[in-house]
Amino acid sequence: MLGERVLTDMTNQPTEEKARSAIALILRYGSLASTLLMALGLLLILVRGAVATPGSGLPILPRMLFAGLAHFDPLAITESGVLLLLLTPIFRIVAAAVSFGLEHNYRYVLISLGVLAVIFGSIGFAMQ
Amino acid sequence: MELTWLLLIELVVLGVVAGGVGSLTGIGGGLVITPILTLVFGIPIHQAIGTSLCCVIATSSGAAASYVEHRLSDIRLGMTLELATTVGAVSGSLVAALLSREALAVLFSFLLTYAGATMVRRSLKAEAVAQEEAEPYQIKRLPLGLCGSGAAGVISGMLGVGGGVVKVPLMFLAMGVPFKVATATSNFMIGVTAAASAFIYYTRGDVRPLVTAPTAVGVYLGAALGSRLMRRTPSRWLIVLFSFIMFYFAMVMVWKSFHGGFAH
Repeated sequence: MLGERVLTDMTNQPTEEKARSAIALILRYGSLASTLLMALGLLLILVRGAVATPGSGLPILPRMLFAGLAHFDPLAITESGVLLLLLTPIFRIVAAAVSFGLEHNYRYVLISLGVLAVIFGSIGFAMQ
Repeated sequence: MELTWLLLIELVVLGVVAGGVGSLTGIGGGLVITPILTLVFGIPIHQAIGTSLCCVIATSSGAAASYVEHRLSDIRLGMTLELATTVGAVSGSLVAALLSREALAVLFSFLLTYAGATMVRRSLKAEAVAQEEAEPYQIKRLPLGLCGSGAAGVISGMLGVGGGVVKVPLMFLAMGVPFKVATATSNFMIGVTAAASAFIYYTRGDVRPLVTAPTAVGVYLGAALGSRLMRRTPSRWLIVLFSFIMFYFAMVMVWKSFHGGFAH
């Protein structure tokens, strides 16, 4: 039975060191970087006042976000911190997929891609 | 919303408290953020849930990183269950958009009551759980685990919590996973579950950076602080106190749902 095979495979845990260290690295520094960006943006908003952003009716489009970042707009910096926070778990799925691929563990590559497909599918659906 | 120093400080403090309570009691900080944002700050509940989801990512990431490094999270089991939990989370957040503020508040109160009761019960037999050591285990009942994770995902996407309240007992009691591994694996999954639904809230405009960013920064600090203090188990009365605060929030949210008074 497929279920049984999955079960024994999951408990065997041969090599997954690459996946573990890549996942830990991304989670730790992704959340740290996004926190720093958000804190910087908020402080700038309070100190300088927000520069008029075309997308103050949020969410801002990525194009506007990059334009704002280029102008060092505090609101755009804050928002990019929030976006980086949301993207951190997604980066960690990608990292897991790649490292499972390097370890020739293709079942988990497929599982990771499946999770990514669900997330991106739903974003596409929600944007419509 | 106009951002002032006072509001910024209040939101950061809320985050620090939620993140600290979350890592000290093992109950996600999301359970505290939504009621306080709606009841105290007067923020519409859909936006409060969007903020809470982002904070859930901020709390879980740091803890998950060290669980993964210390080989406590079962990453294969976690990723397999994530398939179900993300589908659930996406459906939950799509359903939440259709529900009224009042309906969401009542559902949230049920969850608060259940989580509060779980905390009280767990604190009464805390020693039994703490003594258990991580040992080899065989995963049982994977199909049931997938269904349960799907349900946890729905709750997470609809109410903006991590869903550990469902996932930990599911893995521990039904799937034969040791308690510590179940907690670490649930935490590992929470970030992905929350991100899946957070993006949907974001595209709907329910993640407001000026509310989310200060709260999330606070949660990050609170969680880091909480895990430093975690070497000492929180005293029993503290856990009971928190659960009574949760019961209180639950009652106020139900009362407000039937008497109006939620922000638009």
